[in-house]
Amino acid sequence: MRVRDIIDKIFLIEIFKGLLLTLKMLFSKSVTIQYPFERRKIHDGFRGKHALVRDPFTGDGKCIGCMRCTTVCPSRCIYIKREKTENRMVVTDYVIDASRCIFCAYCVEACPVCALVLTEDFEYSSYTRKSLIFDKEQLLKNWDEFVSKWPHDFYFNKFWQPPGIDPSRWPKTKREQKPIPIKRVIEIEKEKDE
Amino acid sequence: MDTLHIIVITILKTAIYFGILMLHVAYATYAERKVIGHIQLRLGPMVVGPHGLLQPIADVVKLIFKEDVIPIKVDRTIFKVAPLISLTAALSTFAVIPVNKNWVIADINVGLLYVIGIAGIGTYGIIFAGWSSNSKYAFLGGLRSAAQMISYEVALGLSLVGVILMAESFNLTEIVNKQSEYWYGMFLFPQIIGYFVFVVAMLAETNRLPFDLPEAETELVAGYFVEYSGIRFSLFYLAEYLAMFCMSALATICFWGGWTIPPILIKNLPFLEFVPGVVWFLLKVYFHIFLFFWLRGTLPRYRYDQLMAIGWKILIPLALVNIMITSIFKYYS
Ligand code: SF4
Ligand code: SF4
Repeated sequence: MRVRDIIDKIFLIEIFKGLLLTLKMLFSKSVTIQYPFERRKIHDGFRGKHALVRDPFTGDGKCIGCMRCTTVCPSRCIYIKREKTENRMVVTDYVIDASRCIFCAYCVEACPVCALVLTEDFEYSSYTRKSLIFDKEQLLKNWDEFVSKWPHDFYFNKFWQPPGIDPSRWPKTKREQKPIPIKRVIEIEKEKDE
Repeated sequence: MDTLHIIVITILKTAIYFGILMLHVAYATYAERKVIGHIQLRLGPMVVGPHGLLQPIADVVKLIFKEDVIPIKVDRTIFKVAPLISLTAALSTFAVIPVNKNWVIADINVGLLYVIGIAGIGTYGIIFAGWSSNSKYAFLGGLRSAAQMISYEVALGLSLVGVILMAESFNLTEIVNKQSEYWYGMFLFPQIIGYFVFVVAMLAETNRLPFDLPEAETELVAGYFVEYSGIRFSLFYLAEYLAMFCMSALATICFWGGWTIPPILIKNLPFLEFVPGVVWFLLKVYFHIFLFFWLRGTLPRYRYDQLMAIGWKILIPLALVNIMITSIFKYYS
């Protein structure tokens, strides 16, 4: 063993082994994805840019101002302004500071009416922080933007029905949440215009 | 008239050499990025031109137009002169390097000494840059470089003594001619110890990994050129790559038989004789350049005391033993 060690040392066996390895790597296939030209497939439940679902019937957000998302958010980046008018809660503004968000999707899971989604849009970096603070209008716009590129007719976010909790304990709206028809939005808008 | 003739021819030759060299350096940076990239399973530059082939040109344009910042408290004159010293030293070495039979700018008798001497002058540029930058990191980088150069210059010089003994000449053309007298056509085989010492010392001389301690991004930010930017920074870069080519050419000439190939090969495969010598020369140089990249992609950086220990305790004794063995053989044959 000792002689072996000495021979290894004199003839730099280990360095040559390393060189051989790197040479082998040199001729193996590289794993680079050339991003702006090639994109990888986005997996189900990818957590990207925030959006508020636009209700296909009212054209407004579905949020009822229950404050659950604000409460559950670990980085405290959701701010909701609400008013009580005619015994009803009206959400006047809904702000998410995306620059502080950790994309845990707790807010999406907690929402009882499935008003919130983390879309699959991840290309929204910007030079100013301000443009990363989404207000309600921006969040609804994010939804429209996302939906316009969505290839299917229906949208369903898998965090709306979080696994691991007995479905009977979900709120009713959550239990009954069906995939949202996207084409509907356009149809209804058309009807309104006419 | 005759003198004028020679001067004009020399200037023309120099200009051609210079142009070719610059192109080589530009594409050496490209090749390095590609090789290191593929070693790390990346692709390297891909966007500018097909397979990123125009990347070096884009880089040059960028470096030229970049803002050239000179910090306030530097010693301005020396700060500006330092990169030029490094570059001039690196460029001048090519004056004596023959690329083919009689293709050389200056065929002088002490070619080898000249190359080693001039290559050492590049250190001045580095020390000046480190000192004039008025920054601790740059200064430390410069000092390290000085210490490293002095230690490895000795090993480099000694490793070539074996070659000089065998060739009985300092003239680089002569050294190549002498090699083709043997049937194996290269000093690589009898001088394998010398070649090993030379390769290690050449890595250290050119400040390449695993001996790039004057730069050492992790400990010294970037070493002696921290304060440099834009075109001045690129001059240092240029000098480093030129030094790489110079050392590769030296290794080719002294150990790999320059532009010749072993006579035994020609005997068995006669058609090889028609390949111009410069092709063999370039192939051998490219192999060494690749060796630089390959080693860079493989080995981690040495610690500073390890570097010094390798230089003084291993390389120099090895080179001395090599000289002894060579002399004894020379004496009895
Ligand atoms: S994803 Fe998590 S951090 Fe981001 S807003 Fe929702 S709850 Fe807060
Ligand atoms: S949990 Fe849903 S409904 Fe409640 S405030 Fe948040 S987004 Fe609105």
